[in-house]
Amino acid sequence: MSENREVAVVGGGLTKFGVRPVTWAELAQEAGEVLFRSVPGLEASSVDSLFVGAAEPERFAFQSHVAPLVAEQMGLAPHRIVQRNELACASGQSAIRSAYAAIRAGLSDIAVAVGVEKMNLPSMAEANSAMACVLDRPWDAAHGLTAPPFFAMVAQRHMLEHGTTEEQFAAVSQKNHRFANANPVAQFYDKKFDREKLLRLPLVAPPLRLGDCSAMTDGAGAVVLAAADRVREFTDTPAWIRGTGQYSDFHNLANMESLTDWTGLTRASREAFRSAGIRPTDLDFAELHDCFTISELIEYEAIGLCPKGEGGKFAADGRSDLGGDLVVNPRGGLLGCGHPLGATGIAQAVEVSQQFAHTVDPSRQVPDPEWAMVHNLSGSANVHSVMIYQRGG
Amino acid sequence: MSVLSALAEVKERKAPKSRKRRSGATASPPMAASPVGSGPPERLPYLLDLYPLESAAQTRLSPFFEALHQGRFTTTRCRKDGKLLWPPRVVCPVCHTTELEWVDLPATGRIYAFSALLAGAPIGQEADLPRVVGLVELDGVPLRLFGRLLGVDWQACRIGLRVRLEPLALPDGRAYYAFRVTP
Ligand SMILES: [Zn+2]
Repeated sequence: MSENREVAVVGGGLTKFGVRPVTWAELAQEAGEVLFRSVPGLEASSVDSLFVGAAEPERFAFQSHVAPLVAEQMGLAPHRIVQRNELACASGQSAIRSAYAAIRAGLSDIAVAVGVEKMNLPSMAEANSAMACVLDRPWDAAHGLTAPPFFAMVAQRHMLEHGTTEEQFAAVSQKNHRFANANPVAQFYDKKFDREKLLRLPLVAPPLRLGDCSAMTDGAGAVVLAAADRVREFTDTPAWIRGTGQYSDFHNLANMESLTDWTGLTRASREAFRSAGIRPTDLDFAELHDCFTISELIEYEAIGLCPKGEGGKFAADGRSDLGGDLVVNPRGGLLGCGHPLGATGIAQAVEVSQQFAHTVDPSRQVPDPEWAMVHNLSGSANVHSVMIYQRGG
Repeated sequence: MSVLSALAEVKERKAPKSRKRRSGATASPPMAASPVGSGPPERLPYLLDLYPLESAAQTRLSPFFEALHQGRFTTTRCRKDGKLLWPPRVVCPVCHTTELEWVDLPATGRIYAFSALLAGAPIGQEADLPRVVGLVELDGVPLRLFGRLLGVDWQACRIGLRVRLEPLALPDGRAYYAFRVTP
């Protein structure tokens, strides 16, 4: 691999996340507006490839073949690779991984990765059906499995096996909501949640309460990836992709070895750290997939930030906050920003780019960050996708 | 009730709340076992699909559904390596043979983990909340299956409760199953 095929995220932007009075296609247009505003050096004609992260447009917008739709909405005419990436909650990162791979392989020089999801619909039961069918439809979902009861069972077993508490779950939610209060695109930018309030919110799937669950969110975003010899056209602080790892080990719940020991994430992150040549202690911050509070706690353990079973204590002791061992989710996470499936992975990459450029609100700026980790799980934590970024310049 | 108290491993099982059987059951297709019946009518869930896909014209796994209609719970086992497979399959994922055999599964087990959907139900399940669900360790085989838990409120549910598989009929004639907490 020649040095000039190194790849960086050179900028990007996000629409406002939330319950939005816009269609799926309008969100794609907004992503185009914010992308060209956020990356002034970008010309539509120089984008040779487009990767669209979209989890369920067939159900959320009754639309398939969305890659050319997005190209048209954004005013792009990709002439090398145009494709959609579907990996449920990790669709956005999947788009970035494919763009990265295309540039690495010499098939693309400048690629755009977009994420779009429109989840708030007149029938939320239909939206919930779409979400349920991320899981094994006839054998799990049809019996009543959706994400909240799944992660609730994970939480229940973690409480039983390790003594984890509701207060520790609330510590994660409180931290991520506090960061979201300093992130204007976040769904819950204007909503304050203290620990007592979080512990009084209604149960969604016991033991998980509303504040333990990420929301159904409308939102979109886009990032530009460039080959090394084109990076300087766009930025002085490129986010170099230095390592990746991904692991998929089951689909039906019967084939999940352990609810609380996410070995797939351990494998994916080890591979990512190995390929980047760093260790977890070298990280300056991490964007971890906090679709539920329990997820973030188990992710600390699986990545190796703390011993198995101690994720709850790690959060409650402030070790994943600014000033702790490793700040996790300074963007506000999925809990604070909302979780528009396809756009979440894009939003995490935008956060890395903006943290490296020191353009985020000072209250959530990580001091002089050089190394960042991004993680998404999808489905019932059966797939884990990890990328490691290094600041250039 | 405290959520934490639901975590206690069961030593002594509490009798499930007695629920009156719905009388004059709808004209449901023949099934070996009883349909769900309880106080306020529980609407039977559809399978998040638009039409049945369980017949021999649609699937090579139709014997699973035919057996379920007769009250038997089955799956496939690989004849070569003996691996018990769930869900039932047509090709072994270990050795990739098509030489699989149908075997009966135990109809009893115990709750390994559970929760309940209190809000946010998919289509067809909206009128059916709260919906208690869980992972059940079947007796004597290395399988932990997800299913709906009948005959218990989530507040009274406990890890370790004994359950029995209950074949059910959907209103459109399809076979379905859930787990019922047993005394
Ligand atoms: Zn085999």
